[in-house]
Amino acid sequence: MGKITIGCFSSLVGSMSLDFAVKLSEAAVKKGHEVDLWLSGNGTMLGKKGQSKFRDYSYLMDTVTELIKSGKFKITNCEACAKARGISREDTVEGFGVASMDWYLASAFSTDRILHIGGE
Amino acid sequence: MRLAVFVSEYREPAMLERLKAEKLGIVLVQNGVYHAALKKDGNVSPVLSKDVEYYALSEDLQSRGFSDSDVVDSKVKVINYDGLVDLIFNDYEKTIWL
Repeated sequence: MGKITIGCFSSLVGSMSLDFAVKLSEAAVKKGHEVDLWLSGNGTMLGKKGQSKFRDYSYLMDTVTELIKSGKFKITNCEACAKARGISREDTVEGFGVASMDWYLASAFSTDRILHIGGE
Repeated sequence: MRLAVFVSEYREPAMLERLKAEKLGIVLVQNGVYHAALKKDGNVSPVLSKDVEYYALSEDLQSRGFSDSDVVDSKVKVINYDGLVDLIFNDYEKTIWL
């Protein structure tokens, strides 16, 4: 089994890239791999507490919660990106990390595969 | 080097022509799957003109109204997320997202 680091630099909840990153993470964890998912830019809004689950809206939090419980998945928000959007640590869902980009770099240097998804 | 290139938009990324690898795979995801399923004036997308491996994500095809087999170009292998994970870990060493 290996480890993949995914950096997602977009977007709001409902974006194609964020959706893709979470689904790829889910498939990788189900196969026994480890996943580090770094969220930057508008992607940090995925970690915001109090999101509502509406019909016809993509809702990723249930999947993310299950992934965190698996112990094979780490998800971390870019601290500066989150703060710039008014999201403090207190506003962030339990299980999400909050860190500087050092975290992403460290993960990138210790992983087997990396997929860096740019902004939309 | 075995390189997998993710194409996520329905336009031809300029960089694609310049990429060289011992083994090159192009993975069509998101709106990039239109390259696999649509023709312009009867011609397939220029993205499909290279002598490389092509893949398209089934979920992204289906969410755009394409069934897996009937409209997808024969050069393109349709894969799901499980297959994509295997590609990333087993078939390619590096990935880039265009």
